Amino acid sequence: MNPPAWAQFVLWAVAGENQAEFVAGDLHEEFLLLCAERGPSAGSRWYARQVLRSAAALVGLRFRSGEAAHLAAAALVAVAMPLVLLDRLWSFVYSHIPLKDGLARAPGFLVANVVCVCACAAVCGSLAHTRGRAAGVAVAAAVGAACALWCSTATAPWLYAGLLIVAAPVSSMAVFAWRGWR
Amino acid sequence: MPKGEALGEFEYLVMLAVLRLGAEAYGMRVRQEISVRTGRDVTIGAVYATLERLADKGLLRASMSQPTPERGGRAKRSFQLTGAGMEAANRARQDLVNMLEGLEFPLPGGTP
Repeated sequence: MNPPAWAQFVLWAVAGENQAEFVAGDLHEEFLLLCAERGPSAGSRWYARQVLRSAAALVGLRFRSGEAAHLAAAALVAVAMPLVLLDRLWSFVYSHIPLKDGLARAPGFLVANVVCVCACAAVCGSLAHTRGRAAGVAVAAAVGAACALWCSTATAPWLYAGLLIVAAPVSSMAVFAWRGWR
Repeated sequence: MPKGEALGEFEYLVMLAVLRLGAEAYGMRVRQEISVRTGRDVTIGAVYATLERLADKGLLRASMSQPTPERGGRAKRSFQLTGAGMEAANRARQDLVNMLEGLEFPLPGGTP
């Protein structure tokens, strides 16, 4: 007797190889007990419900437990992606204003970019659990910001670029330190 | 005691379950123990997230066992309290006892 294949697949997808081994073993054990007590369909329903309700916790665990590469990649994407999207949005806005297309960005737009990057980097920093991993996330956030600036369609003022590259890692480390202090 | 070292309610339940189960303290048994004793519908994900967090704090120690057929050929990860874990559990109990002292239960209008 086996649990539903789709639920097993979801479990392996969300938990990562390290955790999925133990979690799948535990669920399998209880699944067999339930099948013997209440029948296979009740066992399958219980298994699927456990997997779906555990998904968020297991994804969080995956980020926390040693998968630093995922965290660094997340920081890279979480910082670079919103910046690139904001840049495209501001380009679109400027293209609809007569005679403004191609001009330097107004300070308000640049401030919005900095605030957004700081918020994203802070979220990534809050996921790190060790100082080493937090440092990795901070570096990834800075690299993400630099990549996004490089992809930008408008010329970035030096002050803005510097502020962005410094603010991303600083906010990431600040949230990590704040969480440790709390 | 620094604020970050205090145990949350669910963390305390998990630690007590580990303490009760002894050598048999692994994810599924901890989940069942909490469900049976508290009536809560706890998920295995929440239990593992808490067990790992407590292990990161140094309150639990994890060990691996050999794969068994009833687990679909998968290994088991068991947990036991460390010295710091025992201390934290004792401290949390004492805090609770101190706070309950002088109060009468059940409270009027509530269920016991």
